[in-house]
Amino acid sequence: MSELSTEEQAIVATVAGFVDRDVRPVARDLEHADSYPGELIDQMKRLGVFGLAIPEPYGAAAVSTPCFVQVTEQLARGWMSLAGAMGGHTVVATLIGEFGTERQKQRYLPRMATGEVRAAMALTEPGGGSDLQAMTTTARRDGGDYVVNGTKTWITNARRSQLVALLCKTDPAARPRHAGISIVLAEPGDGLRVSRDLPKLGYKGVESCELSFDDYRAPAESLLGGTEGRGFAQMMKGLEIGRIQVAARALGVARAALDDALRYAQQREAFGKPIWKHQSVGAYLADMATSYTAARQLVLHAARRYDSGRRCDLEAGMAKLFASETAMQVALNAMRIHGGYGYSTEFDVERYFRDAPLMIVGEGTNEIQRNIITSQLVARGGVGS
Amino acid sequence: MDILVCVKRVPTVGGKIAVTPDGQEVDTRMSGFTISPHEECAVEEAVQITERLGGTVSVLTLGPEAAIDQLRDALALGAGRAVLLETDGREFGPAATAAAIAAEVRSHGYDLVLLGNEASDTGDYQVGIRLAHALGWPVATGIKNLTTSADGAVARREYRGTEESYELPLPAVITVKEGINLPRYPSLPGRLRAKRAPVERSAPAWQPEGLRKQALRVPAVAGHQAVILGRGVDAVPELLRVLGELGVL
Repeated sequence: MSELSTEEQAIVATVAGFVDRDVRPVARDLEHADSYPGELIDQMKRLGVFGLAIPEPYGAAAVSTPCFVQVTEQLARGWMSLAGAMGGHTVVATLIGEFGTERQKQRYLPRMATGEVRAAMALTEPGGGSDLQAMTTTARRDGGDYVVNGTKTWITNARRSQLVALLCKTDPAARPRHAGISIVLAEPGDGLRVSRDLPKLGYKGVESCELSFDDYRAPAESLLGGTEGRGFAQMMKGLEIGRIQVAARALGVARAALDDALRYAQQREAFGKPIWKHQSVGAYLADMATSYTAARQLVLHAARRYDSGRRCDLEAGMAKLFASETAMQVALNAMRIHGGYGYSTEFDVERYFRDAPLMIVGEGTNEIQRNIITSQLVARGGVGS
Repeated sequence: MDILVCVKRVPTVGGKIAVTPDGQEVDTRMSGFTISPHEECAVEEAVQITERLGGTVSVLTLGPEAAIDQLRDALALGAGRAVLLETDGREFGPAATAAAIAAEVRSHGYDLVLLGNEASDTGDYQVGIRLAHALGWPVATGIKNLTTSADGAVARREYRGTEESYELPLPAVITVKEGINLPRYPSLPGRLRAKRAPVERSAPAWQPEGLRKQALRVPAVAGHQAVILGRGVDAVPELLRVLGELGVL
């Protein structure tokens, strides 16, 4: 899009070229085998994708959020799992860049920018996802350490991360509850183990796991920002970029489904003409393209708002809500247009259909997004100008 | 090792090629510009050599100011320095191009100059050889395998089914062909660095040469012909005969 500088346009074009040349030809087979795409992830590291949210002097290629959205969209257009592999990582990079101590920035950001250190987010617990403040994982101060106990789930990249940003309670008795929440930057060590890999409908290839903390000790200096009780506010900021990233993933899935359907509708003939000329199929294509374009504008709007430095939970929530529902609808319509082939695992459409729901339930369910949007509408006195 | 790679801004040609109404240029309104695959490989080869042996990669183009785009593309791939020999838009012939590059090589000093085997628009196949002649350096062309050390280079190419191998002392000029390596993607930090890198400029004088472009014309493409061999089962014997003729069966 023209709002990007020429360099950022070139960055998006580079990633698009990578997706077309190296990702799309192999995504289907890797996905069906549920194989970890090690080669593709290595290429993403060499490209510099893992450093897109890390500014100088720690990184070399921080880009605007609209550019980040478009890079994410391109990756997801190839295979949503690849965009997932850099999603949580980017949120952690943003958290450290925004709130970390200088020592934490020095320790992690340069190596995160190259992908040498990959980071994961640990928020959700088996007993509660959306109600973050009700979490039970605790970090109790003991001398120079925190001792962590609890279980986290839905940790993407858990087995291949060298850093986990862990949301936990450093003061379980605190009232209001969020005043007792902190983020601990946990590195692999005794007492921290991956307790199981979660089986999934889609989002294959990259692992999503349950993590158990059993008297795991982290040095006190691993508390993000160095002050207890700031974790909830920090994570709310992290979730703004996280939700924009998930919305961008949804755009990529929608775009892939739309592109495939548009191509197929021009190739496939029925009753003596290409099926796009049948009004009912043509109308699907028109609706799919319209919703996708609207979703894209909404996500870019949230991205610009994020870069303005103003609070953007309402905008990120709207973007995530609308883009993910759009991706689901576009994937379903792509399947209708493909007919039986759409249901076949020999085509990619069924993958889009299985990947799209992740963005509906992930990074805060769409029901939670609506709550956020509504409370912000009331707080801001309307939708704003 | 200090390496110079020469690239040329050429029209991107994907599908059908169109010519401007005056017959002087390829119509690029819908296509844009690029460098040839041979030259992309030359840049990649130079970057790989310096990653192994140390040294610098400079990239040079002779062309209009807009050719800076192609220099920046090469910078993003890992070249460290860019030189624009700026023209007023007139096409330099191969002799004038070689002379202008030779002047840059003499003033800066390089151990190795890499070029694509031929420009993908004019296809003269001359600049590398003329450059080496002007410098009095050895030259190997059409190279698809290159081994370089501080002492010299071994350059290999296929010619009519046999492999030829040349040992060259340095400095030398080598023109390479697509396939010598798989060019990397420009890294995203590389893209951003490329924007900030300064471009050194000079403006060599245009000189007339023996060959001049009169006009471009798109050659007529022979149309495809379909022959109906028969209908239904009756067509099978004829179909088998044709497949047999083609050696498919």
